[in-house]
Amino acid sequence: MLTIGLTHYLLVAAVLFCSGIFTMMTKRNAIGILIGVELVLNSAGVNLVAFDRYLGPGRVDGQIMALFVIVLAAAEAALAVGICINLYKNLATVDVDTAATLRG
Amino acid sequence: MTTSHTYEILLALGILAPMISFWVLVLFGRYLRKPGAGWFAVLLGMGVPLVLATVVLIGWSGEDAAARAALTENAYRFHWANLGAVPVTIGVKLDSLTVAMFFMVAIVSFLIFFFSIGYMSGHSDEVDGKSLYSRFFAYLSLFGFSMLGLVVSSSLLFLFICWELVGLCSYLLIGFYFDRAYASAAGIKAFITNRVGDFGFIVGLMLVFFQLGTLDLDQAAATFAGQHAAFLADPTSAAAGIFADPFTLFGWSLATIMGIGLFCGAMGKSAQFPLHVWLPDAMAGPTPVSALIHAATMVAAGVYLVARVFRLMTPEALMFIAVIGCLTLTLMALVAIVQVDIKKCLAYSTLSQLGYMIFGMGCGAWIAALFHLTTHAFFKAMLFLCSGQVIEGCHHEQDMRKMGGLYKKMPVTCWTFFIGVLAISGAGIAGTGIGLGGFFSKDEILAVAYTRAYGWEYEKHQESAGHDSHALGAPRSKTEVRLVAFQDSDQAGHRPDQTHDGQRVEPAGNEDQVQRDRQPILEDGKEPLHAGAIRLLQHPEEHGAGTAAIFRGIPPLPKWLFWLAVFTAYVTPFYMMRAWWMTFMGKPRDEHVYKHAHEIWLMYVPLIALSVGTVFSGYLLFRPLISDGAAAATAAATVLATDGHMHTEAINAAHGWLFWGVGFAFLVGFAIAFAIYRKGLETADKIRRGAGILYVILERKYFFDEVYNFVWVKGCILVAKISRLIDTYVVDLLFDLAAFTIRRLADFSGWVLDNHGVDGVFNGVAKTSQDFAGVVRSPQTGRIRNYLLFAAAVATVVLICVLLAGWESVSSVARAAETTIP
Repeated sequence: MLTIGLTHYLLVAAVLFCSGIFTMMTKRNAIGILIGVELVLNSAGVNLVAFDRYLGPGRVDGQIMALFVIVLAAAEAALAVGICINLYKNLATVDVDTAATLRG
Repeated sequence: MTTSHTYEILLALGILAPMISFWVLVLFGRYLRKPGAGWFAVLLGMGVPLVLATVVLIGWSGEDAAARAALTENAYRFHWANLGAVPVTIGVKLDSLTVAMFFMVAIVSFLIFFFSIGYMSGHSDEVDGKSLYSRFFAYLSLFGFSMLGLVVSSSLLFLFICWELVGLCSYLLIGFYFDRAYASAAGIKAFITNRVGDFGFIVGLMLVFFQLGTLDLDQAAATFAGQHAAFLADPTSAAAGIFADPFTLFGWSLATIMGIGLFCGAMGKSAQFPLHVWLPDAMAGPTPVSALIHAATMVAAGVYLVARVFRLMTPEALMFIAVIGCLTLTLMALVAIVQVDIKKCLAYSTLSQLGYMIFGMGCGAWIAALFHLTTHAFFKAMLFLCSGQVIEGCHHEQDMRKMGGLYKKMPVTCWTFFIGVLAISGAGIAGTGIGLGGFFSKDEILAVAYTRAYGWEYEKHQESAGHDSHALGAPRSKTEVRLVAFQDSDQAGHRPDQTHDGQRVEPAGNEDQVQRDRQPILEDGKEPLHAGAIRLLQHPEEHGAGTAAIFRGIPPLPKWLFWLAVFTAYVTPFYMMRAWWMTFMGKPRDEHVYKHAHEIWLMYVPLIALSVGTVFSGYLLFRPLISDGAAAATAAATVLATDGHMHTEAINAAHGWLFWGVGFAFLVGFAIAFAIYRKGLETADKIRRGAGILYVILERKYFFDEVYNFVWVKGCILVAKISRLIDTYVVDLLFDLAAFTIRRLADFSGWVLDNHGVDGVFNGVAKTSQDFAGVVRSPQTGRIRNYLLFAAAVATVVLICVLLAGWESVSSVARAAETTIP
């Protein structure tokens, strides 16, 4: 019988992380990138909870960290959406390739 | 003490008036209408000085000798400034000579100013919107100021200032018709020629200043006499000053050079050979200016200067002066013979007469020369004004060949001119004391010259001791030069009682006493030259039979100088009579000129006044004053012959044949002129053709203008051209070379050092930075994806590295964490 262990959780988190990174790299739409960021953050959250559960039973450090990540993600989403709106205001698009004015 | 300065104040006001007139006319002349400016200058500019001069003259005549001496002595000196340690004072030199000259200048100038109103009335008064009329009178006023200032000055410095002002005015007035090229050139010529003389004058002034330590006339003379006395006592003494100076030039001692230097100024102003060239050209100015320059002012200034600095002259300097004067009087009289321009003829006659004055000064005939100056001022002013009248009347025709017969149209001018001719010719009846001015003055000069040339035998002998044996101006000479007078004891014996015009001379004893009283006795009981000589002259028996030492240390006049002067006394009446006859007598030769000839009262009134002056004022008015001034003005002079007593002696000595021979010279000259010109110009033409080269030489004035033009003008241009060549080919070459070198150096440093050295470093740094920036910049695409990819790749690489380094180390950390966490 397969016992779900730490490794499994870590694998799920790794898949999530890679999906997030992939999404960020491939999407030109700012909102899409934002979604990729959310995936990465959530993979980190999964990791934190899994480590908390398996490496430090009886302790809540990891869970608290995960809660932090969630709150942080909300704040980050608010901020990022604000940036997106401004981006749209200035360039009439949310295509991040167009917004390449910092190009060297 | 206030009254004692009255004369000085009057004379000072007298020179102030023309100055005021000058400034008013310069500043406000244009507001005075045409005759107004002229009358203003006549009344204020010269009328006031004339009135003051008359007052001074009358007052001065009333003073006795002691009072005059006191006035001269106490004259106020304004301390103006210090030149180094030498105080410069300005004051009025108050003596008989000043009074006489001031009056003479004032009255002649006044009449010429007056005449100018008439002369200028025919001239247009505006050129280019500027009032020439008032300007003319402004210049005249300044001229009057300068001349009067020169006369009254007690200081050589102020005299020099006025001297230069006279030169400036002559330039302005000669070049008055500045729109005519020849007038402008004549002004420049006069000015430059005078500069040459003034150079010598400045040299003389500097010697006076440095050697005598003063610029005051009286002080300078006193110092000079003191130095001479000290030199006679001990040639090596420090007090000998200028006489002890070993410097010589052409054999002249420094003292002689000082005298000659001062005389150089007079050579310029009085137009003496070889600086005479400007005066005939000065005829380019308006005729009143010619009269003013030739009679009362400019040319008189030179003679006056010599008279004033006479006390600073050494015998050698006087000899130089005599030679120059004699050359001038002879050469210029000959040129006057061939002149056909009426003013040029008069100009050369002026030169000749000036030569007489200078010659007289050089002979030591101080009195006679100044006497001649005053008489000449009157008749030459008159002659020039007559010529002005003729020229104005004949519509500016100056050629005498076109005149003739004008006596009918201009009777007043004709006969006043004739009086002038008589006066300049020295007309008079010898032996009676009846004659015109020139008769006395010229004959007196000749008499003194004769005495200097023949009266004294000349012998030299060695004398080893002889503290007083040194000839003045010949320092450290062991030779005593002794002049012995009147070998003929008979002549010497009766001489003192004999006079030429019946005047009685005081007995010898009294006169001797007077001489002794007047002459100061110097230290260590030695009498000055002068008194000793007089005594020797009067008591020849004390020094051997018929031998009297006089003119000690003074060489006799070369005899040829005297004979030239006598010869010229015959030439003068000839050319003057010629001029008069050609102009006024005979038949009219040019109908056009004759038809228009006329005279106007404004112009002939001054002529009549001057002719009266010519006839009377000479002997009556000026002679006594000049004689009176002579003793003081030449006191302690180095030449005996200046004393009034000497003049009597000289005239007596020359009493015999000379007086008759020269006294009637004018008749000879008149007769020759009459014979040649009686029937017109044909005889003269015949003689002229016969004379050949001689005529050409005279007509071209000995080629002085040509030579000067060739030597000086062309020489200057040549020097300028050579300088230009040097400038172009040497100086410019050097500069070009330097410029070329520097430019090449600059190219090198600019191109090699700067562009490739300094710039290379900077550009290299910049290029490197740029290249590096290009490399660094290329990943900065601005695309988030790329950044992410980059970050992910790095993270991946790091992760792989960690894994390869060993999982153990990582897992051990994890295990450690597991174990520590409960």
